[in-house]
Amino acid sequence: MLFSRRLMLGLAMAGSFASALAFPALAGEGPTEIDLFFPVPVDGKLARDMGSLIKEFNETHPDVKATAVYTGSYDDTLIKTRASIKAGKPPAAVIMSANFLLDMQIENELTNLDPLIAADGTSKEKFLGQFFPALQGNAVINRSVYGVPFHNSTPLLYINADKAKEAGLDPNKPPQTWAELTDWAKKLTKREGDKVTQWGIAIPCAYDYCGWMMETLTMSNGGRYYNEEFGGEVYYDTPSMLGALSWWNDLVSKHKVHPPGATPGPAVSTSFISGNAAMMMLSTGSLTYVRDNAKFAYKVAFIPRNVRNAVPIGGASLIVPAGVEADKQKAAWTLIKWMTSPEKSAWWSRATGYFAPNMAAYKTPDMVDFLSKNPDAKTAVEQLDVAKPWFATYKTVPVRKNLEDEVMLVLNGKKQPKEALAAAQKAADETLKPYNAETSLKLP
Amino acid sequence: MSLAEPAALPVATSAAPRLHILKRFSNRFKASLPAYLLLLPSLVFLALFTYGAMGRVVIDALYQRATPKAPVRFVGLENISAVLADPAFTGAVVNNLIYAVGTAVPSIGLALLFALALSRTHAVNSALRAALFLPVLIPMVAASALFLFIFLPNVGLLDYYIGRLLPVLPNWLGDPDIALYAIMIITVWKNAGYYMLFFLAGLQAVPEDVMEAAHLDGAGPYQRLRHIILPELKPTFLFVTVIAILNAVTQVDHVFVMTQGGPSNSTNLVLFYIYQQAVEHYDVGKASAATLLTLAALMGLTALSFRTMANREGGP
Repeated sequence: MLFSRRLMLGLAMAGSFASALAFPALAGEGPTEIDLFFPVPVDGKLARDMGSLIKEFNETHPDVKATAVYTGSYDDTLIKTRASIKAGKPPAAVIMSANFLLDMQIENELTNLDPLIAADGTSKEKFLGQFFPALQGNAVINRSVYGVPFHNSTPLLYINADKAKEAGLDPNKPPQTWAELTDWAKKLTKREGDKVTQWGIAIPCAYDYCGWMMETLTMSNGGRYYNEEFGGEVYYDTPSMLGALSWWNDLVSKHKVHPPGATPGPAVSTSFISGNAAMMMLSTGSLTYVRDNAKFAYKVAFIPRNVRNAVPIGGASLIVPAGVEADKQKAAWTLIKWMTSPEKSAWWSRATGYFAPNMAAYKTPDMVDFLSKNPDAKTAVEQLDVAKPWFATYKTVPVRKNLEDEVMLVLNGKKQPKEALAAAQKAADETLKPYNAETSLKLP
Repeated sequence: MSLAEPAALPVATSAAPRLHILKRFSNRFKASLPAYLLLLPSLVFLALFTYGAMGRVVIDALYQRATPKAPVRFVGLENISAVLADPAFTGAVVNNLIYAVGTAVPSIGLALLFALALSRTHAVNSALRAALFLPVLIPMVAASALFLFIFLPNVGLLDYYIGRLLPVLPNWLGDPDIALYAIMIITVWKNAGYYMLFFLAGLQAVPEDVMEAAHLDGAGPYQRLRHIILPELKPTFLFVTVIAILNAVTQVDHVFVMTQGGPSNSTNLVLFYIYQQAVEHYDVGKASAATLLTLAALMGLTALSFRTMANREGGP
């Protein structure tokens, strides 16, 4: 008989195996088990560092058992977090790109952290007071705390000091204004006939980076890029952004000191390391990479200004997704406070190159020692005094892309800045429309 | 079975009364019950992870919310019309058509060329075949990461050599006029070796005696290719074309790694557009609608080509 008893037995076993997979044994008493989703935006070594950080946490906190789950890039982490919220099993804590918080809050995907802060007997002001003021804008929404800054960055001007000296420039007096920077870039550009063999400056423009650099240039031109108080507005078609994009475009097509087209971040840093570009604007997050790979003397400096010194922050915050049970929320809160404490914050900063958001981290002996050995890391921290929040709107990524697509056309010589920004504004307004329909344009 | 006795085939008895058909059907079902039971585990998983997901896509495509806080409501075909009206979608379709033709034709051409050149098996040819097949073994993501460095403007491998010949160095992935073609080069490099395998197999099936006869009749190499080899390879051509077009729609790893659809949407392909709608716009309805449209197009294409193939193979 083909349909034998053995087959039935096999099927039954397969069935019980499948049900065992579907319904894992109910957890007994013991430590609260929580998951932490973490992205690795820079390089693979970070995953190992995160592993040792969580191991140390578990050893010192017997009542909580945290598991670090690697979730890819910032964007992937957002996808996976959203998927797990939808599936009803959100992780207890996530390291989330700081400018996704507003969008998630609008979609009701974040846990308000105010009650957890209050339960500790602290005030919101006192809790936030630990962190650099520039970082608070991306963590506080409608006067409630939704995120705790974990690792952050700002854009910096990197200068190849050897090439600067060669060109008769003093690398100890880096350019402070756009005019000086233009002048430096001209002097640092080398040509053979029509062909450029060394570019004066390179600024990255790929999705994500491009919007951040546009915010950087716009802010140092006096502008704001977006409405910090309300997620339904961006200021693309404005004089401050027009000036910023026109200057970037001039560097490419008028002065010819910046490589044409849109160049992603890794291409810019490789170009700088290989000596093909004498200056670049890039995140502080690349500082460790440059320090380890540059075979020449380099300098870092503030982003030069046209109107004022101002830069946006970047980086990530710790969040608790919506729908996490009370006991797991408490365990996650213990983990978050531990991870953002001065000592751990300082350790993570040295391991990654990001700066530590907790101000007290810079008073720890190890950090004082590190900064005296690596004064370039100090520049990044000093620039924080003029830093402002990272753009965050309803549907941050598409709204940013509306601008980036147009900027890329300008850098490729296919559009003029004025018409490009008008088109970007129009597209962004369209993307923001549903949110405005429900907020600013919902009238009594 | 000889062609003289087709009447003996069971097909001839199919003109029986209705009741009998039903009975026969249930008999047949009884006979194949163990087979279905054996298939049950995989059917369960297929239902859970494939058909279930497809059903979910169909349902999701019918719902939408007007504003972020508004409840999800039934909108019927509105999502599909919204996708069709989206210039980003039509742009992605046009890009995908250029990409499909621009990768299928050269990679199939190269594959045929390689297969013809390496059809005889000996040590040198085996080594060359292995070399040409190597790109297939490299995961697309790893290959894209490699090509990212090859395409680096000014300092990459490509510019290092081509830079001596060109007055102005192209920004391979940063110029909207060039980026799609740069992406296409990788796909051709990656897939030509794979398609070569099919042609090598197809060449084995070319009847030896016909070739010999042609040889004796004084047919030159070109005539043998034109009148014997190519007609014999027709089913292979069809099959490989379908695979190549399916690949052009379903393999977008390199777009993820290298350009993210940019600059200015110039390398945005349909699958990446779906990803953008689902993830960046967080618009599940529109993403599902675009998925349905793509699935319908792909299934139509596959059905059409396999039917043509079956006709040709079955024909005299």
